[in-house]
Amino acid sequence: MLKYVLKRVGQTILTAFLAVATVFVLLRMAPGDPAANYAPPNPSSEQLAAIREQFGLDQPIPLQFMTFLQHLFQGDVGSSFFFKRPALEVVMERLPYTITLAVASIVVTAVVAIPLGVWMARRSDTAPELGANIGTIAGQSMPDFWIGFVLLILFAVNLHWFAPSGFDSAASIILPTVTIAILQIALISRLVRREMVVNLASPYLTVARSRGVSERSLTWRYAFSNAALPVVTALGTRFAAMLNGVVIVEVVFNWPGVGELVVNALKQRDFPLIQATVLVTVLLALVVQLIVDLLYPLMDPRVRLGEASS
Amino acid sequence: MTTSTNLPGHPQVPNLAEVPGSILGRDSAVTKVLLRRSAAARRARYSTVKIWVGAICAGVVVIPVVLAGVLPLPDPIVGALSESSLPPFSAGHLLGTDPNGRDLLSRILHGGQTSLVIGFLAIFVSGLFGIVAGAAAGYFGGWVDTIISRLLEAQMALPLLLMLLLVVALFGPSIPVITLVIAFAQWPEPARITRALVLVEREKPYVAAARVLGLPKFSILSKHVVPNILQQVLVVVLLLLAQAVLLESALSFLGAGVQRPYPTWGGIISDGRELFVTGKPWLVTVPGVAIALLVVGVNLIGDGLRDRVRRAKGDRA
Repeated sequence: MLKYVLKRVGQTILTAFLAVATVFVLLRMAPGDPAANYAPPNPSSEQLAAIREQFGLDQPIPLQFMTFLQHLFQGDVGSSFFFKRPALEVVMERLPYTITLAVASIVVTAVVAIPLGVWMARRSDTAPELGANIGTIAGQSMPDFWIGFVLLILFAVNLHWFAPSGFDSAASIILPTVTIAILQIALISRLVRREMVVNLASPYLTVARSRGVSERSLTWRYAFSNAALPVVTALGTRFAAMLNGVVIVEVVFNWPGVGELVVNALKQRDFPLIQATVLVTVLLALVVQLIVDLLYPLMDPRVRLGEASS
Repeated sequence: MTTSTNLPGHPQVPNLAEVPGSILGRDSAVTKVLLRRSAAARRARYSTVKIWVGAICAGVVVIPVVLAGVLPLPDPIVGALSESSLPPFSAGHLLGTDPNGRDLLSRILHGGQTSLVIGFLAIFVSGLFGIVAGAAAGYFGGWVDTIISRLLEAQMALPLLLMLLLVVALFGPSIPVITLVIAFAQWPEPARITRALVLVEREKPYVAAARVLGLPKFSILSKHVVPNILQQVLVVVLLLLAQAVLLESALSFLGAGVQRPYPTWGGIISDGRELFVTGKPWLVTVPGVAIALLVVGVNLIGDGLRDRVRRAKGDRA
């Protein structure tokens, strides 16, 4: 057990390092001089050089990377060019908003998608199920930013139920959550359906039914508890992806989260801020993934650690 | 099954239709209506429904897009400022115009050409690369498999959208760059499926036979194994077209798309985003409908085909 955990933690750190290193190299290769964004209008070349020196951009790239690593081990990712304070601090201020949005979305997804998927599996190959099936396909076919805009037009501009953007009250979270959840519900409910169809047709279920177990218990206690493992895995993966991936929805709703921050940081070529965001979100996503993996043996006695790690 | 009773070594099997009390030769209790209502028949019918609905949805978008150059449409890039911000169903502008007086229908159709070209090129590249890498990993195993599988895992951990934005910022938002970026995002899916299918396929007797006959590994893989799994993989690649169109529009929306004034679907929506608050929602809603219709169509066709392929392969789920 301990060996497995250590191995997984090691992999996690290695992957995070890989992501950060890739971003570092990509950023340094990118055209455009970050100094120009932070200099006074019509800067002289001396002014630009001074800013580059201040940001450490006059050093050769391998040296910059070494310095970056050195600071990283001290828990320092550098100061944001734009905010003029530690980048990690800026990211940490925005992080709660992104996490809140991701948690709300994954909860809504689980609450809707699991019953929907189970229903679809039980009504497999009937006309209402075909309708639901096409509905879930439609749900995963709409661009998420477009869903966001349509919801805004409907509920904010026309009905005035919600403020059009930003974060003013607890109600502000509803539209972005719905926007994210539509796609996730479509994906997860189809997975639940697929898993449940297999389990509902298994011989052990027929045996249990012949012994007089109620349909309700057959569905949930017998079939679903076997289908739950891949579903939880998928929910974990989706949640981890959301921590990196709600960028677009945050931009649409001006949600003050990490995604919105990073898109602006990209425009402003704020290297330390981009790096801090990548580091934090990747680590967070990996930790979620790790927790899900470690939950396996608790959830399913069939999963022996030997199998899980191979 | 009763039809296979004339086995060699059992010559005296009676003709069952002549045995008293036999059900053969009589009208079956399983009527045609019952057969039509059976789950298997319904499944077959529903996959046909999906394919047709999908073909109609996709066709409604693809056919006008392909014909955009031939249709009598106003110029998509230069508009008349006297006709700015007309609502849909205005004279001469079926879907209205944007604030620059450019015809929205024309922009959507011409933009669709760019989006579709990028989408098809991207799935061609990612499909080809994914199939080659997945087949190699599945068939050769060993260090080939280790490298490719690690690459697949590593890519999953990267913040993909951010990386794609970075690369587009780096190499400039041209069609080849955006195509390759999307292909890079997509190659894991066909690779993983191909690998899984090849792992099963290579254990089959015909592969062992080919090996015994002394065929080189490469030609066993390319001439025997891959053709047997290609159908299933191509359905997945077709489904990637839907993802590619969505990804392209997302990149355009975030400003990493083909540059203005040339329209793309994401770009048109992005241009319209500041305007819907001022009462011009069609600039956002209509282009989105085009994307959604196409993607729903492709997804339905892919899903229907997948149902069929699965049934042909005798897989229950």
